[in-house]
Amino acid sequence: MQIRDYILRRLIVLPFLIVGVSIIVFGLTRIGGSPVAIYLSHEMSSEEVAEIEARFHLDEPVPVQYAYWARGVFQGDLGWSGVAAAPVTAVFPNKLAATMELAVASAVVAVSLGIGLGTYAGARRNKLPDHITRIISISGAAMPLFWFAIVMLIVFWVYLGWFPIGRSTPEVFASISHPTGLYTVDALLAGNFKAFRDAIWHLVLPAITLGYGATAIIARMMRSSLVEELQEEYVDAARAKGLAERLVLRRHARRNALMPTVTVIGLSFGFLLQGTIVAEIIFRWPGLGRWMADSVLRGDRATIMAYVLFTSVLFLVVNLVVDVVYAYLDRRVVLGS
Amino acid sequence: MRSSSWRWAALLLALTMVAAACNSATSDTTQPGNTTETTAAPTSDTTQPGNTTETTAAPTGGDEVKNPGLLVHAADDEPSTLDPAQVEPGEGGETVILQVYERLLEIGSGGPDLVPGLATEVPTVDNGLISADGLTYTFKLREGVKFHDGTDFTASDVKYSWDRVMEMDLPEGAAGVLSDIVTEVRVVDDLTVEVELQKASAAFLNTAVVAMVSSIVSEDAVEANGGIVAGEQNDFMQGNVVGTGPYTLTAWNRGENIQLEIYDAYWGTPAFLDVRIEIGPTPDVRVLGLRAGDFDTIEADPSFIGDIEGAEGVTIFGQGLTVEPIHIGFNLNIPEGALPAEDTIPTNFFHDPLVRRAFNHAFNYQGFIDGALGGFGDFNPHYIPQGIFGYDPTAPVYGSQDLVKAEELFTEAGYCPDGFVVSVITEEANLFETAALVLKDSLESLPCNIEVRVLAVAEAQFDDAHAQDPIEYAMWVKNADPFADPHSYMSSYQHPDGEWGVIHGFANGYADPQEVADLIDAAEVELDPDTRAAIYSELQFMLYDDPMWLIAGQEGVVAAYRTWLKGWESNPLWPRPSLRFALIDK
Amino acid sequence: MSTTSTSPPLTTSHESAFRVRLRRMGETSGRVLSNPTTLGGLVIIVVMVGMAVLAPWLVEPNTPNASQMPRDWGAIAVPPGSPGHLLGTTNTGGDVLYGVIWGARTSLRLSLIVVTVTVAIGVAVGSLAGFRGGRLDEILMRIVDVFLSIPELIFALAIAAVLGPSFRNIILALAIVFWVKYARIMRAQVMHVKQNDYVDASRVIGDSSWNIFRKDVLPNSITPVVVQATLDMGNIVLVGATLSFIGLAEAGLAEWGVLVSEGQAGISGGRWWASTFPGLMVFLWALAFNLLGDGIRDVLDPKTETR
Repeated sequence: MQIRDYILRRLIVLPFLIVGVSIIVFGLTRIGGSPVAIYLSHEMSSEEVAEIEARFHLDEPVPVQYAYWARGVFQGDLGWSGVAAAPVTAVFPNKLAATMELAVASAVVAVSLGIGLGTYAGARRNKLPDHITRIISISGAAMPLFWFAIVMLIVFWVYLGWFPIGRSTPEVFASISHPTGLYTVDALLAGNFKAFRDAIWHLVLPAITLGYGATAIIARMMRSSLVEELQEEYVDAARAKGLAERLVLRRHARRNALMPTVTVIGLSFGFLLQGTIVAEIIFRWPGLGRWMADSVLRGDRATIMAYVLFTSVLFLVVNLVVDVVYAYLDRRVVLGS
Repeated sequence: MRSSSWRWAALLLALTMVAAACNSATSDTTQPGNTTETTAAPTSDTTQPGNTTETTAAPTGGDEVKNPGLLVHAADDEPSTLDPAQVEPGEGGETVILQVYERLLEIGSGGPDLVPGLATEVPTVDNGLISADGLTYTFKLREGVKFHDGTDFTASDVKYSWDRVMEMDLPEGAAGVLSDIVTEVRVVDDLTVEVELQKASAAFLNTAVVAMVSSIVSEDAVEANGGIVAGEQNDFMQGNVVGTGPYTLTAWNRGENIQLEIYDAYWGTPAFLDVRIEIGPTPDVRVLGLRAGDFDTIEADPSFIGDIEGAEGVTIFGQGLTVEPIHIGFNLNIPEGALPAEDTIPTNFFHDPLVRRAFNHAFNYQGFIDGALGGFGDFNPHYIPQGIFGYDPTAPVYGSQDLVKAEELFTEAGYCPDGFVVSVITEEANLFETAALVLKDSLESLPCNIEVRVLAVAEAQFDDAHAQDPIEYAMWVKNADPFADPHSYMSSYQHPDGEWGVIHGFANGYADPQEVADLIDAAEVELDPDTRAAIYSELQFMLYDDPMWLIAGQEGVVAAYRTWLKGWESNPLWPRPSLRFALIDK
Repeated sequence: MSTTSTSPPLTTSHESAFRVRLRRMGETSGRVLSNPTTLGGLVIIVVMVGMAVLAPWLVEPNTPNASQMPRDWGAIAVPPGSPGHLLGTTNTGGDVLYGVIWGARTSLRLSLIVVTVTVAIGVAVGSLAGFRGGRLDEILMRIVDVFLSIPELIFALAIAAVLGPSFRNIILALAIVFWVKYARIMRAQVMHVKQNDYVDASRVIGDSSWNIFRKDVLPNSITPVVVQATLDMGNIVLVGATLSFIGLAEAGLAEWGVLVSEGQAGISGGRWWASTFPGLMVFLWALAFNLLGDGIRDVLDPKTETR
């Protein structure tokens, strides 16, 4: 009952948050420059410009303009991307798929590394391994990705030659069809092992580089909740029963400590999402992040706005899902403000 | 749930191992040695097109050629169009247009000499293809040439292509190259074209016929896709190619790459390698890619040399000078209230020749050339680059910093010691930005309270600002467009009624605008080389005292490529990166 | 949301409450610093801040604008140890040592400005919402929720992009983005603390709302804000350097992100110094503040959530 109310309330709030974000994004389109700019392609006649001005009611008060802008967004008109020389919505899906693939792969790295490190440290609280692990994981959060990535690239691409740059070998990429846009998935659907290998091979280096940063968030949470769990009575009880420390950790404490850690996975997803901007620039990954960075430098505001709007919505939804899953898993969650 | 973290870890490990396996598998199966033609990668997977390879990550150091059958070039920017009628000289689109389209004549390898292209002979007065009065040019066309779409190339396509450019007359394009001189293009028969000029010109072949804007497009293809509309771009031509060149365009993935394929039915010597142009890797990635062997050639400038030197398997070419001097513009036509708020200079700041000369004396040329250009560069008189007809080595140049003189001139002009603030706009992260920084340091080292603000912006943003008329900045840094004839430089960069003369309002600054104009006009139509050279020499002396530019230096030709390339050849008169991909093999 | 430490003893004497707090602060500091990694973080911070403060004495600027890199056009990309350039120079002759040291100053300036502004705004908004409650609280917190919906770096990047590239705009963008966390933390603290007995006691003896807030609520709510601010001192520099790296700061600025970006091309060519040292500085700076913040949080509350 309680859970359902909680989920329901979160679901009701979500649209309001999205509207709120859209107001901020809309506000950004009004800072400097002409509001019509986001709809203009480089070669539009003055009649076409006038038509756009009329369609989006750019001569009316700002709230009215917002309404027309929002309607446009709702109908899939996010403006014209100067960088991609196409409507924003036309370019979005493929780039999104590329970014999601990278983000998910990084999340895999981050979650596995984070939980591993967190457990290791938490079980050895305040001992040397704890300190070392703490430094390793905090280093991840403190590491300037733009610097770390280029070092990784030099070592593994240029000197060792183990991993390539980019997302794919173009010829291999072109040899399969792309129904989902996710290279790995499409390769599997096509049953083309060579393409799958190509996809994974390109994915490993950026995923590890990017995932390392998010490791810290997860490891830190895992460690502290494990420390907490190890102080619980049931652990003492288990120990009293003569259970080996290793089993106490594995069977009881770690399992329970994983619960709260789930919540930060949503948070770390936001970290990964913004990390894709830098990672994609350096690894030449053809995703949303690099498009965004290009757009920032070239003042392509339509793309910037679409990107902010979209990543925020994605971030909200992922966090909602994570919270709901958590609430469902752990009925003890405090409901209410 | 129990051991989920270990499962994750195991999965991660597995992924890493798969990747490592991919890598070693590749190393094992990739054929060593050179393959000239497109060869199938040795793989059981037969669904692949023939010319693929997956050696992108093969270890470096070996003799193994990466990407056999494919030339990968890392460019620094993305074309804004592939339409010859729309492309701006010096812009990324020219790189592609050079490879996929052809002109009646081409600039040959190794120098400024013209060679036949789609025409079979270079017109001269001697061979009768130029009329005695210099007004009529006849071009005999090559027979049996086919466009990429399979249609025949005829005289009608030539007329159509040139008329199209002049009729469309796009502001960003270079229609003026043709319309300023051509009166009429006549089809004599299927394989003969006559061109009637407005005036005799020593520069017609070198400036107009070989220019990218004069590339021959397929009449049928254009007519089938929107035809000609005056003043409006053609969306089809903007992103598609139907030419006669040794390459066809197979894909243009914006922001990613451009793929060219060997055109099998090419009339001449076919190309050796397919081409992939990687768009816009940052300079560091370009250097890294070249080192890793994933890029065969990269867009480079002298500042790259230090980063590439000593790299295994990489050849550095540094010889001769580009014909694109790096110049800093003085705006004599600043619109009221347009400058950045920080600027304190009056709008007529550069009308004063003292100020322009002071800037020219203050600049640290040696620092720029020895430092930023790594010694690959030289000085220039206004305004004919070394290597171009008419360059007078005895003409005075601003080539050594003279701070005392600069201070004197600024004092005389009333700007020292009270100083001023001026902004200079430039592309970020390249030599232009460096030149701007040198300018800043040079002027700020004067005891005059001068502040130079360097606005380094993204290339596209700079291009927008630079394409405005009038320009809303007092100063900007860029390089000249490459030309083969002195008249192009003089008319573009010095003539009061020329391109920049109008935009920058040179008439507001020249001591005698008419005299400059008359001399440049006279040189254009002067057919006697000695007299012509004498006029250019006079101009170079004259413009030293009345400079409209600050020429930071004439950049050296620098290129870097994988040593495994064969037949690599560069000509600074070809659009950057000054390569014809079709000549290169590996 | 869990809270910090134990409630202070019920007392009406602010004098003695102050002493108690002082003593507890001393104890807390001792516990924080007993952790070697935290201590290490603090040492790095002291060194970095010392560098930032003493910059004009450590390396003298030779340009009118000290925040700009001085360039030596006669010494392009010379390696570390060259005469006059202890850490070498960049591709434009910028002295790396100068960039490293004055970059610390730039970073300190950036993080102090942004943290001060955002803490002030965040604490004000959070306190107002938490202390007043009701409709105002609802509205303010919904605004906070909206701001928190946009990932920090992306939000800052978008703002800095529309404002145009300059370091001032980076500062502005970060200030717009970073205040919300404080508002939320502060509100939760205030809500919690104001239910405590001693607040009621003050109310009974007739203190004004403002006085209650100032003397009882604020001092007892501020700890998690301090923890967050410590972490943010590092994070802000990291995000700021990332924006600079992407290209949103002005050229030639003595700033670590700018330097890494400018020096990158050289790394593979053996000119590792121009990028490596500034990159290391960003890392150490963020690491040190993260270690310290984490250490403080650990001692005050081992189970503080990260959001």
